[in-house]
Amino acid sequence: MTSTLSISERQIGLLLSVLLILLGLTMAAAARHGVMAAHGFMALALGLGLVFILGSAIYDPEPPKARMTRYYDAPTRFGIMMTLVWAMIGMGFGVWVAALLYWPEATPAVPWTSFGRLRPVHTTGIIFGFGGNALIATSFHVLQRTSRARLADSISPWFVLLGYNLFCLWAVTGYLMGSTQSKEYAEAEWYADLWLVVVWVTYFTLYIRTLARRNEPHIYVANWYYMAFILVVAMLHIVNNLALPVRWTAAESFPVWSGVQDAMVQWWYGHNAVAFLLTAGFLGMLYYFLPVRSGRPIWSYRLSIVSFWGITFFYIWVGSHHLHYTALPYWAQTLGMTFSVMLLVPSWASAGNAIATLNGAWHKVRDDATLRFMFVAAVFYGLSTFEGSFLAIRPVNSLSHYTDWTVGHVHSGTLGWVAMIVFGAIYTLVPQLSGREAMASPRAIEWHFWLAVTGTLIYVVAMWNAGITQGLMWRAYDENGALSYSFVESVEAMAPYYLLRTIGGALFLTGAVICAWNCRATMRAAMGEAADRPLAPQPAE
Amino acid sequence: MLKLHYNLEKVSMGLVAAIIVAASIGGIVEIAPLFTIDETVDVPDDLRPHTPLELAGREIYIREGCYACHSQMVRSLADELDRYGPYSLASESAYDHPMLWGSKRTGPDLARLGGKYSDDWHVQHLIDPRSVVPASIMPAYPWMTRSLDTKLLGDSLATLARVGVPYNAPMISEAAADAQAQSRPDSDGADGVLERYGNNVAVRAFDGDPSRLTEMDALVAYLQSLGTLTEAPYEILAEGDQ
Amino acid sequence: MPESTDPRELPGADPHTGNRKVDPVTGYETTGHDWGGITELNTAFPKLVIWALVLTFLYSVITWILLPAWPTGRDYTRGLLGLDQGVEAVKGFRDLAAGRQDWMSHFTGENFAALQSDTGLMAAALPAAERLFADNCAACHGVSGQGGPGFPVLSDGYWMWSGDPEAIAETIRFGINSDHPDTRFAKMPAFDWMERSDRSALAQLVADLPNGPVKRHSPAAALFANNCASCHGENGSGGLETGAPSLTDGSVIYGQDEQTVLNTITHGRHGVMPSWADRLSDAQINLLALYVAQLSELSNEVAQ
Ligand code: HEC
Ligand code: HEC
Ligand code: HEC
Ligand code: HEM
Ligand code: HEM
Ligand SMILES: [Ca+2]
Ligand SMILES: [Ca+2]
Ligand SMILES: [Cu+2]
Repeated sequence: MTSTLSISERQIGLLLSVLLILLGLTMAAAARHGVMAAHGFMALALGLGLVFILGSAIYDPEPPKARMTRYYDAPTRFGIMMTLVWAMIGMGFGVWVAALLYWPEATPAVPWTSFGRLRPVHTTGIIFGFGGNALIATSFHVLQRTSRARLADSISPWFVLLGYNLFCLWAVTGYLMGSTQSKEYAEAEWYADLWLVVVWVTYFTLYIRTLARRNEPHIYVANWYYMAFILVVAMLHIVNNLALPVRWTAAESFPVWSGVQDAMVQWWYGHNAVAFLLTAGFLGMLYYFLPVRSGRPIWSYRLSIVSFWGITFFYIWVGSHHLHYTALPYWAQTLGMTFSVMLLVPSWASAGNAIATLNGAWHKVRDDATLRFMFVAAVFYGLSTFEGSFLAIRPVNSLSHYTDWTVGHVHSGTLGWVAMIVFGAIYTLVPQLSGREAMASPRAIEWHFWLAVTGTLIYVVAMWNAGITQGLMWRAYDENGALSYSFVESVEAMAPYYLLRTIGGALFLTGAVICAWNCRATMRAAMGEAADRPLAPQPAE
Repeated sequence: MLKLHYNLEKVSMGLVAAIIVAASIGGIVEIAPLFTIDETVDVPDDLRPHTPLELAGREIYIREGCYACHSQMVRSLADELDRYGPYSLASESAYDHPMLWGSKRTGPDLARLGGKYSDDWHVQHLIDPRSVVPASIMPAYPWMTRSLDTKLLGDSLATLARVGVPYNAPMISEAAADAQAQSRPDSDGADGVLERYGNNVAVRAFDGDPSRLTEMDALVAYLQSLGTLTEAPYEILAEGDQ
Repeated sequence: MPESTDPRELPGADPHTGNRKVDPVTGYETTGHDWGGITELNTAFPKLVIWALVLTFLYSVITWILLPAWPTGRDYTRGLLGLDQGVEAVKGFRDLAAGRQDWMSHFTGENFAALQSDTGLMAAALPAAERLFADNCAACHGVSGQGGPGFPVLSDGYWMWSGDPEAIAETIRFGINSDHPDTRFAKMPAFDWMERSDRSALAQLVADLPNGPVKRHSPAAALFANNCASCHGENGSGGLETGAPSLTDGSVIYGQDEQTVLNTITHGRHGVMPSWADRLSDAQINLLALYVAQLSELSNEVAQ
């Protein structure tokens, strides 16, 4: 890391690290004990570590001047590493949580191992830790390649990555210690939320500044999606997390929103975290890595335009489909339902565009597990968006809501689409960053692929069955017009599905571990710099 | 159109602006009217805010992630009315920052839980769910027997008052004392709790031991208050009976 | 805007030459851009997508016309169908209730004996009772009435109050030591004023009761007769309809080992059975009473 920075950049880095230390000290001193103090110490430790790394290298020789004519890949490499670390954490917790629902005494009853605290560790760890790092890391790569420009500066990428991972760490350790706002996918407390805003503004600035240096008059579709991801996530995050701290020195706060308005804001956020993080961002990834890996042009530029604006415009309306039949006014539910149905068109247009792009490369899909990951991702993207639009129809939702059908839908989207496209991107990216032709073990990719597909299918099919069974049992009436089942009977009926889900999840996790090992082996045997390191000659300004 | 886009694609700030506009409309149209249309939240006269002890219990409910398995929202569906009771009204959570409607029912809905079981049952169920419901997959919460920390309660009420919950000055200044008193029916402060929060507040030793104020006291007090803060939803269902 | 005739300005044309490349696989032209090797085809917009958009939009418009949909500032469009989900739900709920009226209505009356002997009616009603019991009572009394720690067995034929359905219905309706004004009240007082040795002797005696009747004339027996018999009966067999359990049949609530009994005597007991008057309808309560009454018969049959 340090060898790619100039001496003055190292000095700036050192200054920022000292500021981080001060922030950590202030938090720890102000709160004195409890979660906020623990988080202060984490910031302090990170700051000290960075001071040590930068300080001990401060007068190392300057990097060659020529670096400015090359892509800056060190942050991407770090981001990919963090992606893999969080993949194992997030999925590990997923399997743990899944096991607890089958076998509630699996782990001892101490506060931090209890289901309600572990579940948000899984969701935050996997969505923000795994998904977020993958998006940031690949966005740096894609942005530079499609702009034929080096990142605008060398410090802010590190600030973004390290700051973002500090946020994730604060969030998940906070839940384990019992600090949470309870807002789904936004559970982190107020100061972590504020910190993320700072990180995000830096990210956006870096993105725009780099884009401004592009050597290609047109901005490529992938960047539209990454930009929508950055912008809209910022908007959602700020509005949904508006809260008053109980004290400036305590990790406790009350959201300014209450009741029905809070519910609407929460699911406007929650759904669009799905839309702009788990969908738009990863579509950006797909739009770059799929054509690169298949060597095919994007099938239709015009379709890209319509899908992009369709997705950006329609998605924002549909959050209310999480609140069907609740105390949210009927009119808002109707809007959520109808826009969800219209949303299917741009969604399928994107999936269709991706699959049609593979025309002429089907032999590669057959032979290349990496490309197959991307193909399966596009198929699951189509499947889960179809399912989503279906679930958004009120009468369907009356059955599916609150049940494991939702969880099945979630994981057909996240395992089948999000995780698969990330693995496809990683397997394309890692050899390239390591200056190699291929991953260390192509056979391991095959194994990973089949483990992932089997795991996903077991998981999703089990949860479909579970959810529909549950939904039907809750509303089943016997011939005398009386409810047929007690609630506990529906709990008992879930057991076999919860066991199957745990097995499917464990297979998927095994695949991810194999991937991490394979990436490590590839990076360790790096053969120099990224294959496409030199930038095209810059035109005279 | 195509041409327009063709040009837009070349201007990064133009794209930024277009994205912000396209992605703002839906949210504004759906959220803003929830504040302007009066019938959205029709706060009934008898709605009371949570007592400090119940509020502390609510924070524990949040801390332990009970909302991950339990909804507090009876939907407007006939079978849910049949199983759980009157459907939930927006006004019932008007003072809830945040709302806890939930999105998953691994366990049953809790919106109408108050009064359904005894305090003793809750204590046993929370300490060891399978001792009373052998088929349960709910986690055990044996650590609820530790003492309740009331240090932040006054500030919590004050903060909630600032975002619109009707806590007045005496409620805020007496918050910690009221939490103690609500779990000690024979104490001097017990009357003060009833005076401030109304006569239908339960004043009991919720964990069975009046000598210690525990997290269990707070959590059970909260659970017993669910669905009892206003009569409004029950009245709607009763009206139709005539 | 007027379409330009300069080929270089046409969408998809190479800005320098105005030429478009042709993709050999599909035969479509590219747009002329190249982002580090990535190109795009200028494939014509698929008609299917337009049709799908039109179709889903039509669906939406129809829905908006029929249902409440668009906010208009301080109000919203109500839709031609004039639906209100709360009203719909209550209507649906009433329909459900009406659908079971033909048998449920019998249970609003209190002629329990007649109901009990109407086997056809009971056959229709028992599944409903079973579900009601499982959702409301089983948490304390167990799914088949087998009781739980601190909660009485309902299936053994021994009653603190009475096995008569009318009395059971009253218990269910108002509860025991509940917060309902008409609640049954039953309290085991604390005998903490009693000498510890006396309490231990009593505890020993009570723990022995299931094994046989009290030995008269022992000091413990005298203590029992003076302090306990008023509620638990001369020989501890309960049955006085005071809510005091029988201590002779081994079907106690809290346990009959010496230690537990000593605890009971020292600190007293005040078990709470909630009142169901506000939660269940009269018919449901009566039905449950009949169901509970026959639980012990069922378990006797199983035992035989
Ligand atoms: C892993 C999921 C899970 C979590 C987390 C969980 N519960 Fe439960 N809960 C259940 C299940 C399943 C049942 C039904 C079986 C039973 O009664 O134990 C249940 C039942 C209940 C009931 C009885 C409701 C009724 O009407 O019968 C209450 C009260 C309850 N839970 C409260 C809580 C509280 C308070 C917490 C947090 C401190 C919590 N639960 C956390 C799964 C969970
Ligand atoms: C919160 C736990 C709880 C629930 C739920 C509960 N009960 Fe009880 N029930 C008790 C307790 C405790 C007692 C004994 C009271 C005492 O100690 O005097 C009792 C006593 C009874 C008795 C009197 C038994 C006798 O020997 O006379 C009947 C009958 C009964 N319950 C039926 C029901 C029915 C029917 C339901 C459901 C509608 C129900 N209970 C729900 C706790 C409960
Ligand atoms: C005022 C009436 C009354 C008197 C006097 C009384 N009891 Fe009780 N006893 C009760 C009631 C009522 C219960 C059930 C309490 C409950 O379930 O909450 C009970 C419960 C018990 C139990 C627990 C049984 C079980 O189901 O686990 C024991 C043991 C017991 N009594 C023993 C005694 C002894 C020994 C004495 C005399 C020292 C005594 N009682 C005097 C009313 C009385
Ligand atoms: C090893 C693989 C995985 C396993 C075993 C797993 C398991 C689980 C379990 C058990 C739950 C809780 C369900 C419940 O409460 O009933 C859950 C929820 C969730 N998981 Fe996963 N998961 C895995 C991978 C992922 C991935 C890769 C993502 C995202 C990229 C993800 C995102 C989510 C989300 C968003 C939820 C919340 C769903 C909801 O609230 O409805 N999971 N997961
Ligand atoms: C057209 C696209 C989609 C639509 C219309 C849609 C719709 C829905 C609906 C109706 C629900 C159930 C709400 C409920 O009853 O509680 C839901 C839940 C969910 N969906 Fe989708 N979905 C779409 C695509 C996706 C994709 C691609 C993913 C993931 C990558 C995803 C992730 C989720 C998650 C995480 C939840 C659970 C939220 C929660 O309850 O915590 N969705 N979606
Ligand atoms: Ca937050
Ligand atoms: Ca959820
Ligand atoms: Cu959604």
